[in-house]
Amino acid sequence: MVVAGDPASSPVAGGAPITEEEALVRLRQTDDQSLQYYAAWWLGKMRSRHPDTLPLLCAALGQRQPREPAAGVEHNAVARNAARALGKLGEASAVPALLAALEDEDDGLREAAARALGDLEAASAIAPLCRRLASGPAGAGALRTGSSRLEEPCEAMLEALGEIGQAHPEVIAVIRPFVAHERPLIRSAACRALLQLTGDPLWGDQLLELLEHPQLQVRRASLMDLGAAGWRPALQPICRTLAENSLKLIALRGLVEARASCEQGHPGDPDPSIADILAAMDDLL
Amino acid sequence: MASPDHPGLLIEALQRADSPERLLEATENLAAACHPGAALALVEVLGFNNPGAAVAAVDGLIALGPLAVEPLLSNLDGHNYGARAWAVRALAGIGDVRGVQVLERALASDIGPSVRRAAARGLGRINLEPLEASERVALRLHCLDALLAACEDAEWVVRYAVAVGLETLLSQLSAPADQRQRGLAGLSGLAAASEDTPVVRLRAALALERLA
Repeated sequence: MVVAGDPASSPVAGGAPITEEEALVRLRQTDDQSLQYYAAWWLGKMRSRHPDTLPLLCAALGQRQPREPAAGVEHNAVARNAARALGKLGEASAVPALLAALEDEDDGLREAAARALGDLEAASAIAPLCRRLASGPAGAGALRTGSSRLEEPCEAMLEALGEIGQAHPEVIAVIRPFVAHERPLIRSAACRALLQLTGDPLWGDQLLELLEHPQLQVRRASLMDLGAAGWRPALQPICRTLAENSLKLIALRGLVEARASCEQGHPGDPDPSIADILAAMDDLL
Repeated sequence: MASPDHPGLLIEALQRADSPERLLEATENLAAACHPGAALALVEVLGFNNPGAAVAAVDGLIALGPLAVEPLLSNLDGHNYGARAWAVRALAGIGDVRGVQVLERALASDIGPSVRRAAARGLGRINLEPLEASERVALRLHCLDALLAACEDAEWVVRYAVAVGLETLLSQLSAPADQRQRGLAGLSGLAAASEDTPVVRLRAALALERLA
């Protein structure tokens, strides 16, 4: 999952603030891709509503460029940032272009497209996401030869299915096998999606276990997953987790704001109230 | 283990620590001793680029309270951002009036949202008791102005902390009526629909409820 501060999506530090008009100018030109990269990020971050923004970002999805590891530039950097920005803008008209990007041979672009489609709650993405994940942990979830990456960006795709929020039996069936994936981050993403889709505390309990995982990276991911699912029984375990307060605050915000309207925990245990969660947040500041 | 009257051995252990784990353990031991002589050593830990040890050191400095303020203020390192960030957290937790300037500056201009949120919370909790009445009014006004200016912070968690800071500041008895009005107006702004982060609106609304 993309954590705030991920170098692939943060802006280049320094430089004067730009205007929307300047961002559009930078995105429109194609000679300097680093300017386009920043502009795409900016338009998403600032929730630009200019009529040119969407078409320019959708067009930028089609841009391809080689990876430049020495310059710290990711593969297809502009296209990936355009996908991320489209996810933030909340416009359904971006969905077709993102669905096309979901089929790209660049798995990083598929990852960004999957997240954006999840952000947009795009029901039309369910079928292609399920199709790509159907081969399960041993297929989509297997390592590519000679790489540490998986065949498919499973974490992003599983999370997207959870965000889209339609709990068809076929969707559950596709996600289910991934709760046993060997990588804890994948297991966390699968449990999160199942928790969002079914509300079954079984999945919440598995996330609570991951909060105690020896690796900080796993604990951070599970914090974010519990926050995204808004699972209130996680309040005290979140507070006790060995991780940065900043992430706990984000997770607790999720507990307050996520949609869940029904009793979430095990029968007989009342869920923490909003006031309880706010008190916990105050103590983390 | 050293007795509470002699932190020297504990400080030595800290200086000899040759791994992150040993540094953490030595810091925790020194912090637990809660000895004034340890303040400077704990302040040094803030600059060692070891977040776990820094957290332990901050806790230890907060436990020492006002005794830790001079060591903190006189060792604010212009070149070590991490050390300064931790120092802000410690000063915010201590709540001594001598820390107000540092907290104000941090809230207004630190690049780190986690530093700004700590500063906001801290400005609400400054202990004004030791001051003369007129000084109290003036300093409370400083804290109020700093918090109100930060209602426009770009980060939701800072605005959340501002709501908390305003509530704490205003819930002290004897805030002058005009200061109270301005503070309540700030909270109303954070509770309004124009604030687009729901949890900030909720926290500000809760504050208004409690202050009513």
